[in-house]
Amino acid sequence: MHLIIDQAGKLYQGKVWALRNFSLTLRPGVLGLLGPNGAGKTTLMNIIATITRATEGTVTWNGAELGRDPDAVRAVLGYLPQDFGVYPNLNAVEFLEYFAAVKGLDAASARRRIDELLQLVNLADVRKRPLGGYSGGMRQRIGIAQALLNDPQLLIVDEPTAGLDPEERVRFRNLLSDLSGDRIVILSTHIVSDVEATATQIALISGGTLVAHAPPEELLREAEGRVWEWVIPSAELSAAKQRYQVSGTVRRADGVHVRMLAEFAPAGAVPVAATLEDVYLHCLSAHRAHIAEAQGR
Amino acid sequence: MTRARVLYHLARADFLERVRRYSFLLTLAFAAGLAFLTYSGTIALELDEYRGVYNSAWVGSMMTLVTTTFITLAGFYMVKNSIQRDRQTRVGLVLATTPMSKSLYTLGKALSNFAVLAAMVSVLAVAAVILQLVRADAGSLEPGKLLAPFLWVALPAMAMTAAIAVLFETLPVLRGGVGNVIYFFAWAAYVGASGVAGVNEYVGLGFFMRRMTGALKRIDPSYNGSFVLQAGPTAHATKTFLWNGVEWTPQVVLGRLQWVAIAIGIAWLSALFFQRFDPAREGWRRKKETPEPAEDRTAANGASAGRAAAVQLTPLTPTAHGSQFPRLVVSELRLMLKGRRWWWYPVAAGLFVASLVVPDIQARQAIAGFAWLWPVLIWSQMGAREARHDTQKLVFSCAHALDRQLPAVWVAGVVVAISTGGGLGIRLLIAGDLPGLAAWLAGALFVPTFALALGVWSGSSKLFEALYTLWWYVGPMNHTPGLDFTGMARTPFSTPFYLLATLALLMAAYVGRRGKLGYA
Repeated sequence: MHLIIDQAGKLYQGKVWALRNFSLTLRPGVLGLLGPNGAGKTTLMNIIATITRATEGTVTWNGAELGRDPDAVRAVLGYLPQDFGVYPNLNAVEFLEYFAAVKGLDAASARRRIDELLQLVNLADVRKRPLGGYSGGMRQRIGIAQALLNDPQLLIVDEPTAGLDPEERVRFRNLLSDLSGDRIVILSTHIVSDVEATATQIALISGGTLVAHAPPEELLREAEGRVWEWVIPSAELSAAKQRYQVSGTVRRADGVHVRMLAEFAPAGAVPVAATLEDVYLHCLSAHRAHIAEAQGR
Repeated sequence: MTRARVLYHLARADFLERVRRYSFLLTLAFAAGLAFLTYSGTIALELDEYRGVYNSAWVGSMMTLVTTTFITLAGFYMVKNSIQRDRQTRVGLVLATTPMSKSLYTLGKALSNFAVLAAMVSVLAVAAVILQLVRADAGSLEPGKLLAPFLWVALPAMAMTAAIAVLFETLPVLRGGVGNVIYFFAWAAYVGASGVAGVNEYVGLGFFMRRMTGALKRIDPSYNGSFVLQAGPTAHATKTFLWNGVEWTPQVVLGRLQWVAIAIGIAWLSALFFQRFDPAREGWRRKKETPEPAEDRTAANGASAGRAAAVQLTPLTPTAHGSQFPRLVVSELRLMLKGRRWWWYPVAAGLFVASLVVPDIQARQAIAGFAWLWPVLIWSQMGAREARHDTQKLVFSCAHALDRQLPAVWVAGVVVAISTGGGLGIRLLIAGDLPGLAAWLAGALFVPTFALALGVWSGSSKLFEALYTLWWYVGPMNHTPGLDFTGMARTPFSTPFYLLATLALLMAAYVGRRGKLGYA
């Protein structure tokens, strides 16, 4: 089972490249897709989900090229878009039954699957309530159930935990980890802790290009020795922020504990273990510096 | 910020948002099309066998009548979406939290509607100048006489249309498809009545009728009083008369401006029904729904994070996946019918039975027509539902969205047509009227296909609701041969025409949907 994205690019309105020369090969596991707003994450997912066609390059699912055979991936795809609507007059069961029919599931399998999914996303108690009366978090959960209806081999989830309370978020993370064994899961989110908890691979995108792609451990190793904690008086915080890349601050009795990224530690700073958030900031900052240097040349 | 400034920016932002959409170009194209039809003589004002000499007064008055007659109808459907757009884009939620008053909001929306309609009027006013220059029978261009009817008749009519559109949008019962259908019949009744009475109504039909017929009677006492805005290739005016236009006395102008005041009153009145996007008070049907569910309740019921892992998903076997087309048709049908009120079904059943058993042919004809007007709001969802509810990404990323889901929608629509109008079909079958049955069947295929094609291409139910109601009124309601798709008033070409039209519309729907899929 593999998904190959080869030199994919997407041009909007003939002038804006949302994605350019993007190549990636995916195998079973969870790919955490990280990047700033407008980096091209949603465009990439829309291309893989067959919602939009790549302007250049190819996407291949188990040897089938999406341009020629989009149904090859649609048949095994579960997709949770960032923004989606529901049919407000249907209840949860009817909504899922409708999508089970659209996805071509037989009635008996669909019924069993829907029961299980409603339990899984914790909506069994409100299964007969019209979706028009659901809160945002509940709609998100019905979206998750919809994505899992056809037992997808390729699961694409765009900001899946947006609107979920902390408990539901943890449940969903656990679910993603459980599902990832024998399928490819693409998880796009701004919540680094969600990626930290589930991803087996991380792809960092910025400006429509791939900045980094590696297992989290490898990326963390790259940032090692560059993350410091420095305790300074409050009055010096502003100057420190201007001079260093600060990734966090905590005010304590002994002063402000500043977490920062730097090649060389300032006097008094102690090295600390890097987190994915540090990696994210480090990679993006290095990428931007690289681009600025290239443009300056 | 003064209230005037708030009003200006509210209307300006809404207007800019509209004019930067492709649909605005279609709006202007519609106006240009009207102008061309008038220029080519396809649409013409005739007073029995007379038409006016093409001077500035006649051209300005005739073009104004064309403008107000068509745009007070079509324009209503074009602008009746300004509040809906704020609801869909969720900008309304932000606006609702500002100090802006409800009346300022509805006035702003009416002003924006008016600006869009005024842009259409401008296109027709320019066309009037061209028409006068090209086809002038007598006299030179007199801008005052040419443009005054646009200023004092067309623009007040647009103000009324703009305000009525806002009123419809604020009244929950008129906001959707029911309102679209009701407006057509209300408009037809109003225009019909004003034409008969010759009163100063906002469309301007009676206003011009009274003056023009009076002027012609003074020239030709034998003139029979006929006054027709003729649309079609059969213009038969053979004589001309000189029309010097309306004398725009202050009293006449004030009489027209009263419609602007009434329009402002209607827009202000709309504020009474506008619920400031409060989801709890927005829809009359919501009251019947259960209250906002407690998110906490499901979460509390639910279980800890650990329990999620306890729920096991049964893997689907390969045999679980299949075509399942009949099941999909049933699902589409269920989705179409979901949300109908209980009384919809007895009325549909009553029309079915009545069209089967009523012996009088004229009554049966009327009932058969109504049997296919009743499901208009069901058909109008076809092809547009995904856009309306923002489920395109969910549906279009499923396998065979084009060659299975779209045909399933179509079949479900045909099932609705056959089920609701079936009384007449059975009657024709029993009577052995096979050509009649074939014509009826062609209609049963045509109507849902028409809905599907318009829904797919427009992404909205409104276009079908407006065009179908108009067609229904001209065809089945008035038994116009050829346009009656129920087959009751048919020509030898009706059946092949509707079958061919069905085929063409099916292809159009397919191509339209194909264009919406990233990978078809």
